[in-house]
Amino acid sequence: MKTETEYKILCEHISKEFIQKGSQRVRVLDDISLNVKQNEFVVILGPGQSGKSTLLRIIAGLEIPTSGRATLDGREVSGPGPDRGLVFQSYMLFPWKTVIGNVELGPKLRGIGKKERREIAQHYIELVGLTGFEKHYPHQLSGGMKQRVGIARAYANNPKVMLLDEPFGQLDAQTRYFMEKETARIWETEKRTVLFVTNNIDEAIFLGDRIISLHGKLPGRMHQVYDVHLPRPREHTDMEFLKLRHDITEASELTL
Amino acid sequence: MNTIANEVQVQVRERSPLSIWRVLKNRWFLHAVSMIAFFAIWDYVAINRFLGSALARPYEVSLQLADMMVNPIAGKGLFGHIWASTQRILIGFAIGAVLATPLGLLMALNRYINAVVKPVFDLIKPMPPIAWISIAILWFGIGEPSKVFIIVIGTFVPCLLNAYNGVRLIEPQLYDVVRMLGGNRRDEILHVCFPAAFPAIFAGLQISLSAAWTCVLAAELVSARSGLGFITLLGMTLSRPALIVGGMVVIAIVAWLTTLLVTGLEKVLCPWKRELQTA
Repeated sequence: MKTETEYKILCEHISKEFIQKGSQRVRVLDDISLNVKQNEFVVILGPGQSGKSTLLRIIAGLEIPTSGRATLDGREVSGPGPDRGLVFQSYMLFPWKTVIGNVELGPKLRGIGKKERREIAQHYIELVGLTGFEKHYPHQLSGGMKQRVGIARAYANNPKVMLLDEPFGQLDAQTRYFMEKETARIWETEKRTVLFVTNNIDEAIFLGDRIISLHGKLPGRMHQVYDVHLPRPREHTDMEFLKLRHDITEASELTL
Repeated sequence: MNTIANEVQVQVRERSPLSIWRVLKNRWFLHAVSMIAFFAIWDYVAINRFLGSALARPYEVSLQLADMMVNPIAGKGLFGHIWASTQRILIGFAIGAVLATPLGLLMALNRYINAVVKPVFDLIKPMPPIAWISIAILWFGIGEPSKVFIIVIGTFVPCLLNAYNGVRLIEPQLYDVVRMLGGNRRDEILHVCFPAAFPAIFAGLQISLSAAWTCVLAAELVSARSGLGFITLLGMTLSRPALIVGGMVVIAIVAWLTTLLVTGLEKVLCPWKRELQTA
């Protein structure tokens, strides 16, 4: 039996209710318990409106659970902080900052000197393959490049865990596929504990060590956990890949 | 670099061969046609006296303007009058913007300040600035201070509203980014609020500037011995249409130039927007 601290992220019986107009309560998460081990890549898979983004925001400390708790390294999450790197679906780059300005913001806010934070930023810009675009402003970049900046910005703070909230949801299919390969490459190069939220089954199987699927309707509930034992780098056309894809699709169709 | 090659697009514009059609559809050709037509119709209406003797011909107007550069009116040449109006605008605009912009930012950032200031502001907001002219003259006399006061009132409202809305309409997730990266409230204001509100503040300054021109003309029409509003009023009392139209033309040109000044300042201070326009 593992103790609490052996898990990087631990969620215990998390439920979340929002109060809508007219004091109507809407339950978006119901009794979610999950764990993520050191350097594990865990994917939370669920269709739109299954509460998966809310779960990620609770772990990020941007939302407070109605009941239950999220812990990071055994300590309860009580608010946002630089030990977790968050990547947003809609990029959320600062349009008034250049690529390097965006990436170095984390180290800057933590009081790291100009020379050192430039080096850190440069390193992660290189890691995500944006060398040569340091002085560009976000609007000059394509969607895929913007999200590379988003990933580099989260990495630059050297967080304990990376939280990615449907990071490629706004990309076209081809760029998305390409960015998934890039994500796998970046993760292999600089291992981190990753919690990745998506609604795309292929993306989940391609990236995850483990896939946690949620029920299709609110409130979001745990549905099934899949361990993905496929060797990396993975191929979308691999027989094992397709079989797992078939299994997950069949199982999740029942919940929709 | 290779990894992103498929995300970069290259635009190639093809040129079609020269033809009459292409000349007719050319933007600059159409601009020229519209300008020539405008002046031709103006001249035609003036010569045939469709409006009695109340409209001067374009060439009479330019003669009048040339004459004013040499022979002063009411002790001032053309540029003297331009400067008189511009000076009032610059002083009033500067005071209004310097007072209203920080107040608007403060109101958006602090709900207590907002709760105190907003009701009073909402009371004053719908009042046209020109409605203040009479009381301004009673308070400050017919000299410069009353004119500057009207301009301050006129620039105050749009400056404040834009600074306020500029902060209010910021995407809330940008604050989340700062928080997740380890920033506090001060960092949120410094790295999100101010830069995000900048374009809105400049939009406010542009609106204020045109409001300022309306105000200065109104104030000069009521009581003044110099300025472009005074010139047009003088043209009316002396029944000299060329003087009126000349004054109007100069007002348009000078107002346009001051607008360019603000646009230029914005381009220098908001490089991310400049890139957006040239890209």
